Amino acid sequence: MIDFVQNTVDGIMFGSSYALLAVGFTIIFGVMRRLNLAFGATIMLGAYVGTWLHVNYQVNVLIIALAILASTVLTGVYVERLCFRAIRRDAALASMVSSFVIWMQLEEVAIHLLPERTYPFPSLFVVDAIEVGAFLFRAEHVTMLVLAVAMVGALHLLLHRTRFGLALRAMSENPRAASYMGIDTGRVMLCSFALVSLVGGVAGYTILATDEQITPFFGLWTTFKGLIAMMLGGMGSLPGAILGGLMLGVVEAHSQWYLGNEYKDLSAYILLFAILVLRPGGLMGRRILSREELAYRRV
Amino acid sequence: MLELRGLSKHFGGVKALDGLDLTVDEGEIFGLIGPNGSGKSTTINVICGVYGQTAGTVRFRGELMDGQPPHRRLRAGIARTFQNIRLFPNLTVWQNLWVAQNSHQDIARQGFLPRWLGTTRQTRKEIAGLLELADLGHKGDDLAANLAFGEQRRLEFARAAAARPKLLLLDEPAAGMSRVEIDDLSRRIRRVRESGVTVLLVEHVMELVMGVTERIAVLNFGNRIAFGTPSEVQHNQAVQEAYLGSSSPEPRPAGRKS
Repeated sequence: MIDFVQNTVDGIMFGSSYALLAVGFTIIFGVMRRLNLAFGATIMLGAYVGTWLHVNYQVNVLIIALAILASTVLTGVYVERLCFRAIRRDAALASMVSSFVIWMQLEEVAIHLLPERTYPFPSLFVVDAIEVGAFLFRAEHVTMLVLAVAMVGALHLLLHRTRFGLALRAMSENPRAASYMGIDTGRVMLCSFALVSLVGGVAGYTILATDEQITPFFGLWTTFKGLIAMMLGGMGSLPGAILGGLMLGVVEAHSQWYLGNEYKDLSAYILLFAILVLRPGGLMGRRILSREELAYRRV
Repeated sequence: MLELRGLSKHFGGVKALDGLDLTVDEGEIFGLIGPNGSGKSTTINVICGVYGQTAGTVRFRGELMDGQPPHRRLRAGIARTFQNIRLFPNLTVWQNLWVAQNSHQDIARQGFLPRWLGTTRQTRKEIAGLLELADLGHKGDDLAANLAFGEQRRLEFARAAAARPKLLLLDEPAAGMSRVEIDDLSRRIRRVRESGVTVLLVEHVMELVMGVTERIAVLNFGNRIAFGTPSEVQHNQAVQEAYLGSSSPEPRPAGRKS
């Protein structure tokens, strides 16, 4: 019983970072109906810039964290310009393919920046695990959860309480009408890329600070986790992304404990398979999509 | 106010607009009518920048609008409603109006923060006024998707007014409306005009056009075939022929566009 609770809480804590990754994918999908495959690579390159600073100059971890956020946002904006802005009137597939190519490009940049296979990644602070009764929590996991909750809370306020957030949601509902309501759709697109890159940067940083090492495969890893979590919750759904991320974290934690490390990734795919068979649109996606359809039919 | 010179728009071989000249004066309610496919909607779409024209110019308050994207034109003061309503269904009535305020001159001038982040007493007051204009005062927190058809039309109208435009383009606002609703709409149009907005009304429903406009231009085959006051247009031979192919006293009865 204690194991079960411990694993569940661990899973939720780590899953909160999956949730942030999924939020990044799902916001771009919601606003543009396009998949940004370079999102994971964006986070990876941002983290590589921080690692490069760490390896070569031994600067303060706080500065490294800020450098990672800044370079992730810049890379996100770069991806938007190249894969989304430049071809916004073309097929959505064109954006997907070109963002895949940019993924390869960003990976190449990272490998040239730091050519060895793995590098140490600086932890934010070195603290012992936190003991609560019979339970033991890693400080990094607690930080992860706290930051994720703060990010999701801030996002929620932004999307529901500011005119920018409403413009973003208006755009995801009807881009053309939004443009005639005076919303600069290009600006909103750019800002949403910067925004999700910031969210992704936070997620990437907390994950790497837990792992304490980085490889170029981090881009692939974040893409997998983020996409699976998004698919679980339903594409384009923000609550779905959060739910999917937490669920993925919990299932991974349990299967790692009860079945062994080699089953961790496999169980994630089995979970995805089960959800897609039972609810093809994802947990929240189908309901939201059908409600949207209904709304369009009425409006 | 609005000046169209030699405006043409060709879609492949189809000349939707063919050298249209039109001038709308400040403060008037101007009607634009014509049979189906005569170029009315194309005119509105070119004015607010949905697509560029093949030839000719659009001038708004003396400034050339060519090549400007829709949001710039709105900021310059051109707002529109849609023939088929295009609200944001999962936003509330209040939020629909709030979003549309982002092009409001006074709010835009206050800079980035009030424009994109906050509400002020002024914006709340204006939204309350718009809700009242649309008779939706009690429905501010309802999702737009849950409104009745007539209410959605009124919200669409109020949303276009939210940016406080100088020129309001109404694309068939009376389509599918009952007689009572049409009377209601003409009152609303007059009220908006009294607040200093020029109105360009594209409409099939003759009761509305004849009752509310001061001048009317009649289009056919992408060009102007008649121009004048409502009664002048009503008795124009060319107009009657365009609508019915023969002489008949009424251009077309009220009704929904087929």
